[in-house]
Amino acid sequence: MSGKINLVLTALLVMCALSLVNAQYQARHLFIELGKLEQQARQLDIDWAQLQLDQSTLGKNARIEQIARTELNMTPLTAARTQYLKEGEQ
Amino acid sequence: MKRGVAASKGMSFSKSPVLAVSLPTWRSRVVLFVLFSAFLALAGRALWLQGMSNEFLQKQGKSRYERTIELPATRGKIMDRNGQVLASSLPVKAVWAIPEDVLESPKDKLRQLAALLEMSEAELRKKLDSDRTFVYLKRQVEMDVIAKIEKLKIDGLDTRKEYKRFYPQGEVMTHLVGFTNVEDAGQESMELAQQLTLVGSTGSRRVIKDRLGRIVEDVGLSKEPHDGKDLTLSVDSKIQYIAYSQVKAAVEKFKAKAGAAVVLDVKTGEVLALANWPTYDPNDRKKLTGAQLRNRVITDTFEPGSTLKPFTVALAMDTGRITPNTRIDTGEGRYVINGAPISDTKAHGVMTVSEIIEMSSNIGTSKIALGMPAQEMWEMFTEVGFGQQPKFGFPGAVAGRVRPYKSWRPIEQATMSYGNGISVSLLQLARAYMMFARDGDTIPLSFQKVSEAPVGQQIIKPKTARDMREMLERVVSGEHGTAKQAQVPGYRVGGKTGTAYKVENGKYAMPRKYIGSFVGMVPMSNPRFIIAVMIDEPTTREHFGGQVAAPTFAAVAANALRAQNVPPDSTVTEIVVPTDGSGDVM
Repeated sequence: MSGKINLVLTALLVMCALSLVNAQYQARHLFIELGKLEQQARQLDIDWAQLQLDQSTLGKNARIEQIARTELNMTPLTAARTQYLKEGEQ
Repeated sequence: MKRGVAASKGMSFSKSPVLAVSLPTWRSRVVLFVLFSAFLALAGRALWLQGMSNEFLQKQGKSRYERTIELPATRGKIMDRNGQVLASSLPVKAVWAIPEDVLESPKDKLRQLAALLEMSEAELRKKLDSDRTFVYLKRQVEMDVIAKIEKLKIDGLDTRKEYKRFYPQGEVMTHLVGFTNVEDAGQESMELAQQLTLVGSTGSRRVIKDRLGRIVEDVGLSKEPHDGKDLTLSVDSKIQYIAYSQVKAAVEKFKAKAGAAVVLDVKTGEVLALANWPTYDPNDRKKLTGAQLRNRVITDTFEPGSTLKPFTVALAMDTGRITPNTRIDTGEGRYVINGAPISDTKAHGVMTVSEIIEMSSNIGTSKIALGMPAQEMWEMFTEVGFGQQPKFGFPGAVAGRVRPYKSWRPIEQATMSYGNGISVSLLQLARAYMMFARDGDTIPLSFQKVSEAPVGQQIIKPKTARDMREMLERVVSGEHGTAKQAQVPGYRVGGKTGTAYKVENGKYAMPRKYIGSFVGMVPMSNPRFIIAVMIDEPTTREHFGGQVAAPTFAAVAANALRAQNVPPDSTVTEIVVPTDGSGDVM
């Protein structure tokens, strides 16, 4: 009787040991994956900063004014040529 | 075998004579004991290494699979009030070399390297001609160049991660934003003032790496890196650009030495724009000069001239000594106090207080000033911030100079009433006008975005402030106003001109050098902006504040009002201003 129990317990012990090995293996793989994703997140942050910078550089008022004047032939607006709409007035 | 041998001799094993030879029992005991104690020693040693003194081995083991990784922190971004990026750090790399090893690589590769580093081959060789084992070849190299350099595969060449700060708005915004040095530490303006907030703290983590160099586990405590906090300034990029381009245009038009402008939000005390000319590009500071670096709005003081008159008059009105309609005789345009003459540009005769401001009469203001104790005037100047160290946290901000009232002689009290013998910065002057634009109270200035309106400190009665606003409006739109060129189509404008002689080495410069200034507010029905403009040493025929600074004010105001969608409060849309500078514009 006790021999059988020992056998079962041994089998259980071996299984537990193997699953521990497996779990550790998977944990490491997931950890590597996490590391990669964190790296990716950092890279995306950098890209975002770069894009914000590009937006600010390209959206510089000096550049907008220059393009508006030379390429689009726009002129500054004056009060005389402006019609003001006010809320609640006929 | 033995048995066989024994049997072959016809003798049983147990009878073997060899067996009969009996060794002394102690010998086997000794062997047994030695063996046993050897095992015991091994077990003890094992126990010792595993359990008791395992530090050394643990350390050796760890050093073979554990690594400490530095986690860098990025410096915070600086943004304008609408979230547009004004300064941002991006990772770049420094290229360094072990000179001996690099010099052994083929000539062709060195030439390519020099080209990629944007230096001549001779320069590169000069840098490599060193006994040291670590030489920076170039710092802050951008990543795409680094990729090309790494492709060359030069021995002894390596890179180190660092950050570079970029300023997309360049010279337009630089006097507000400032810049950092190669070590990413703030050097000027807000970059310097807010260094502690902007700078992050680096972290580190201890990890286990596998044989492929991948991180498989965190061990021990890791220190999280903290990125620097982002900073949102009060400045509005659009208004800043308007102010900058108008100041630049004015300096060029009047062939002046320098110019500056500042725009304040009346409701919140925020600095919406702060422009200087000359300026510099913070991304390329190789040829930086002191004149370019100077922030004239904050760190330079000048004698404000007539822009100071409203304070004297406001004080007299607030204390009930005069009303806007009180009549004062300014005579023939010449007035002598204790032997020292004061003059107006022409004879005005008897004028009302309102006209004294409108036509900017020195004699009228002096007479009003002399009717008051020096102490009261001094208190007024001090309360609006003249001579006081500004508290808005900007490096290099100056206090200006107001001498203690006890040493004022009458002639000095008179000249001070129209802004001579006193020095202020343009920003102090603009802030002082806050008292008129708001109903008699003043609020602290802020270079950072303000979320709720600050509480004001009452200086003069609301009625005095309203009366003063009416007078200031007449300076611009009145028949004899000195600042007709400050008019803005569609809006009611008020302000005051100032023309001062420059002081050099403690006395007035000869030949005369001028500073023309104008401080004004728009729209008068409910002031939103205070705009102060200063043009330093105009060398054309025009040099009065009403000629050089007022048009700049008008251009900045018109564009700022439009940019902020402020509804017009006047029906006048066409303005014809005599531009020949006729009339009195002092």
